[in-house]
Amino acid sequence: MSDTGEVTFEAEALSYMDQLYAAALRMTRNPADAEDLVQETYTKAFAAQDKFTMGTNLKAWLYRIQTNAFINTYRKKQREPKRSDAENVEDWQLAAAAEHTSSGLASAEDAALDALGDEDIKRALSELSADFRMAVYLSDVEGFAYKEIAEIMDTPVGTVMSRLHRGRKLLREKLRDYGADRGLYEARAAARDTSSEACRGKA
Amino acid sequence: MAKHECQEALDRLFEYIDGELTPTELEQIGEHLKECPPCEAEHQLNDKIKRRVAATGDECAPEQLRERILETIKSARDA
Repeated sequence: MSDTGEVTFEAEALSYMDQLYAAALRMTRNPADAEDLVQETYTKAFAAQDKFTMGTNLKAWLYRIQTNAFINTYRKKQREPKRSDAENVEDWQLAAAAEHTSSGLASAEDAALDALGDEDIKRALSELSADFRMAVYLSDVEGFAYKEIAEIMDTPVGTVMSRLHRGRKLLREKLRDYGADRGLYEARAAARDTSSEACRGKA
Repeated sequence: MAKHECQEALDRLFEYIDGELTPTELEQIGEHLKECPPCEAEHQLNDKIKRRVAATGDECAPEQLRERILETIKSARDA
């Protein structure tokens, strides 16, 4: 790689440090481990920079290195229960069908969500298993396309979709629970009475 | 309202929100959401959760981490 290429790679790679650190915090849920993970990511990225093709997606490449490092090092240490990858498309389609509620209920959830703070959102996300919270984070915070998330997480696109569906369903349930714990659902019983207006997902 | 349209819209709601649909599919689902308040309420809620999550990735790397990484790169380059 030419000197110019090296400088460009270095400058661009370093420009993603804040984002990689924020993602590392979500992955490890611990600032000290997050710092070590980002350090490891950059060490590996600079050691392997000859394998990177300039002009392709450097950010996704760095995320892939960081995700691999997280899985290989920190996830083992955290002894997080490894989830089965047997999830399939049918599963989440059924889940989505079962989830369709009345507009009254969704509006009550919507209003309760407004009363929750950013710390609640972070807490709910941190309570998801690693595969779910990473898929949701990569999509929602980083705006990666499904295909990019599949490459970063080294998994088929169908699995990414399944993780997003399940992760978001769980996230929503947690946020709903937080709202209920704080008495944000007084109008909920009334909303349930109007559920005859619901257009059910399944005939 | 046709129930199979609700099913289709709900199954593809995340793809709709995530910008993963073709323009034709996007238009089809969008048309249904305009006509179906319960599906639109689901759309609004899921979209809002996505935006709330999106607003959480705002931490900055600590200065000592930045220095450590720059040091690592420098020693690798000098080696």
